[in-house]
Amino acid sequence: MAVPDATLERDAALFAPIARTGRGFYLTVAVLGLAILWGAIAYWTQFNEGLGVTGLQQPVSWGFYVTNFVFFIGISHAGTLISAILRLSRAEWRRPITRMAEVITVMVLFIGAGQILVDLGRPDRLFNVIRYGRYQSPLLWDATSISAYLTASMFYLYLPLIPDIAILRDRLGKRRFLYSVLAMGWTGTERQHRILNRAIAIMAVLVIPIAVSVHTVVSFVFSMTIQPAWHSSIFGPYFVAGAIFSGIAALIVAMAIVRRIYHLQAYLKPIHFRYLGHLLLVMTLLWFYLTFAEYLTGYYGNEPEEMKVFWSKFTGPFWPTFWAMLALNFVVPMAFLVNLRNHAVGKTVVASVAVVLGMWLERFNIVVPTLSNPRLPFPVTHYWPTWVEWGETAGSFGLFILLYVLFVKFFPIISIWEIQEGREAGLKDVEERLRTYLPDDTTPEPAHGRARVTT
Amino acid sequence: MALWGMVIDLDRCTGCQACVMACKAENNVPAVGAKEAARGRTISWMHVLVEESEERTRFLPRPCFQCDDPPCTKVCPVYATYRNPEGIVAQIYARCIGCRFCMAGCPYNAKYFNWRSYQQEAPGQNPDVSVRPKGVVEKCTFCHHRLQKARDRVRAERRELAPGDYVTACAEACPTRAITFGDLSDAGSDVAKLAKSPRAFRVGEELGTKPKVIYLSETEAHGRA
Amino acid sequence: MSARPSEVDRRVRALQWAIAALAVVFIGGIVTWIAHLIRTAWRLGDVPSASIGISIVAIPVFLVLLGVIVSVFWGLLRDGGSR
Repeated sequence: MAVPDATLERDAALFAPIARTGRGFYLTVAVLGLAILWGAIAYWTQFNEGLGVTGLQQPVSWGFYVTNFVFFIGISHAGTLISAILRLSRAEWRRPITRMAEVITVMVLFIGAGQILVDLGRPDRLFNVIRYGRYQSPLLWDATSISAYLTASMFYLYLPLIPDIAILRDRLGKRRFLYSVLAMGWTGTERQHRILNRAIAIMAVLVIPIAVSVHTVVSFVFSMTIQPAWHSSIFGPYFVAGAIFSGIAALIVAMAIVRRIYHLQAYLKPIHFRYLGHLLLVMTLLWFYLTFAEYLTGYYGNEPEEMKVFWSKFTGPFWPTFWAMLALNFVVPMAFLVNLRNHAVGKTVVASVAVVLGMWLERFNIVVPTLSNPRLPFPVTHYWPTWVEWGETAGSFGLFILLYVLFVKFFPIISIWEIQEGREAGLKDVEERLRTYLPDDTTPEPAHGRARVTT
Repeated sequence: MALWGMVIDLDRCTGCQACVMACKAENNVPAVGAKEAARGRTISWMHVLVEESEERTRFLPRPCFQCDDPPCTKVCPVYATYRNPEGIVAQIYARCIGCRFCMAGCPYNAKYFNWRSYQQEAPGQNPDVSVRPKGVVEKCTFCHHRLQKARDRVRAERRELAPGDYVTACAEACPTRAITFGDLSDAGSDVAKLAKSPRAFRVGEELGTKPKVIYLSETEAHGRA
Repeated sequence: MSARPSEVDRRVRALQWAIAALAVVFIGGIVTWIAHLIRTAWRLGDVPSASIGISIVAIPVFLVLLGVIVSVFWGLLRDGGSR
C-alpha cells in the first residue's frame, strides 16, 4: 500500500521542487545554458578546425581535456563510496544523502566520458575503439571499467528510486504516465521490498570494487608509460584516494546548495555535514600522506629525469599551480575541518570548495609538467589553454549541473521512502543493534571452593 | 626476415639538416606555417636535436628509433600503430582516432600530430606517400614506401633485394654520409658492422625500448681536422 | 483496481517490458563486444592474454549486473498491476 497521507504531509518539502517550478529554476537553466553554449561553440570550432584551436603542442599533447577527464571521473566516486559504504555499514545518517550522491555519480560519469570524446583528433572514428579495440591499451581498460561503472551506478541509482517514483505516481498528480512506466508496477508489498532490498544489497557490494577499478585504470593511463613522474606504482591507490577525496567534497557542495535552494534544512542537518566533514578531513590527511610519499621518494632517489619534473613543479614554471594545490588540498581543509562543533555547514563547504579546486589542480599538475619536460633536449615550450579549452571546461560543468538540476526537477533528491523507513524502523533497528554490542546478561555461578571476592 | 636499422655517426654530423629537408620532401611532411610553428606545432619526422655546452655543440639527428619493444604500440587503442615483422613501426592514418596516447608514451617525442588540416593533396607531392588529414598522428616510417617500391622493382628484375636497393631519404641526402641504413640482421651489411663498433650507443637504452637507431659517439677529432 | 487492464495500463506495461529488454540488450551488447575483442586479439596474435585476463573479470561482473536487474524487473513486472 502507498504511503499514508499524514506522512506525506510531513515530507511536503521533498515534493516541492517537483511540484512547483519557480523563477529561480528558469534563471538557473538560462545561466547554465550560456555556459553550455560557450562550450558548444568552443567544440564546434574545434571540430571544424582541429585541435589546433587549443593550446596543445609538441610535446604537451595532453592538457585541459585529459585533466577534466580524470577530474570528472574522480568526482564520480562521490556516489559509490558514500552511498554504498554507508549503506553497507548501516550508518543511519546516510538516509538524506545517498540519492544526492548517486545522482552526482551517474551524471558526472557521462560528462567525464565525454571529455575523452572531446579530446580525440578524430571523434568521427570513435567506433574504431569498439571495432578494433586492443585490450593491451589502458584506454580499453578505461572503456570497459567506465562502462561497468556507468551501468552499475545507473542501476544503483534507479533501484532505490523505484518506491519514490511509485509515490510520485500515486500522489503528485502530474506526469502520471512517466512515473507509472518508471515505477515498474511497484505496490510496496512485502515480496517486492524483499526483491528490491536484496538487489540493492548486492549492488552496494558490487559497486565498490567496480568504482575502485575505475579510477585505478584511469591512473594506469599514465603509470603504464615510462615517463618520469608518471611511471610510479603509487598511482593506482593515489588516484582512488584522490577520487574519494574530491567526491566527498563535491557531495558536500551539492548538499549545501540543494539545502539552501530547496529549504531542506530540516533534512540536511549540521550533523550530516559534520560527519562528512570528518570523512573529508581523513581524506585530506590520506591525500597528503600519499603525496608526501610520492615526492619524497622522487627527491631522495634524485634521478635526473624525475628531478626535472620535480623542480618544474616546486620552483619552476608550475610552482603556482603546485603550491595552490597544496594550499587548497591540505592547508585550507585542515584549518576548517579540525573543529566542526560550530558552523559545521559553512566550514565544510569552504573546505570542500577548496578541495574541488585543489583536486582539479592536482590532476593538471600530473598531466602537464611531465609532458612539458621531455627526456631529449627539445626547445622549452609553455602550455597555455585557449578560450576553446576554457569554454569546454565551463560547458562541461554547466552540462553536469544542468543534468543534476533536471533530475531534481523530476525526482526527489532526498529519498522519501528511506527517510520514512528511518523514522519507522530505523530507531528500533539501531536500538536492537546496540543491544547486541553490549555484554550478554549472565547470572554469575556460585563459587564452590574457589576464591571468593570480598566486597 | 630483414630487420631494418640505422647507424648515425655523430662524428660526421655537421648539423646541416639536409636529412630533415629530404625527409620532409620525400614524405609530404607539411610546412605548418610560421604561426603554427611559433605555437610549437612543427612536424619534423627527422629532427636534429642540439645540445649546447661550453666545450662544444652536439647535434643528434633523431628519426623514429623504430624500437623493437615500442612503448607507443602498446598503448594504442585501435591498432593504428604497430610493429611489423621487419622491425618498422608502422602508422595507419586511416584508423588513428587521434587520442595521442602514443605521443604521451614515446620517450623520444618521435610522434607528431596534425593539429589542423595542414595540407591538401596537391601537385608536387610525392605520390607514393599518403597525405595525412587533420587529427591523426604521424611519424618517421624509415621511408617504408621506398621498400615497397624496391621490392616491386627487384621482383620485376627477378632478383633478390640487395643492399642499396632500399635506402631512406635522410641517409641518401646526408652530404657527409653520416647516416647508414640497412638490414641489421644481415651480418655482412654496413649497418650491422657499424652497429658493433666500440663507439656505438643507443639513446635511452636503459628504458628497454630496444631502439634500432644506433649512434656512433664523437671521437677526439670531432670539430677539428 | 480494474479487472481488465485499460489501454493506458497496457501501454505502460509495454514500455516497462521494453525498458527491461533494453537493459538486457545493452549489457548483452557489452558482453558480446568484449568477446569480439578477445577474438580479434586471438586472430591477430596481439597479446591475447590481456584480452582474456580482463574479460575473466569483466564478463562475470556484467553478467551479475544483468542478473540483478533482470531479477528485479522480472520480480516486479510479473506481478501485474501496472497502475
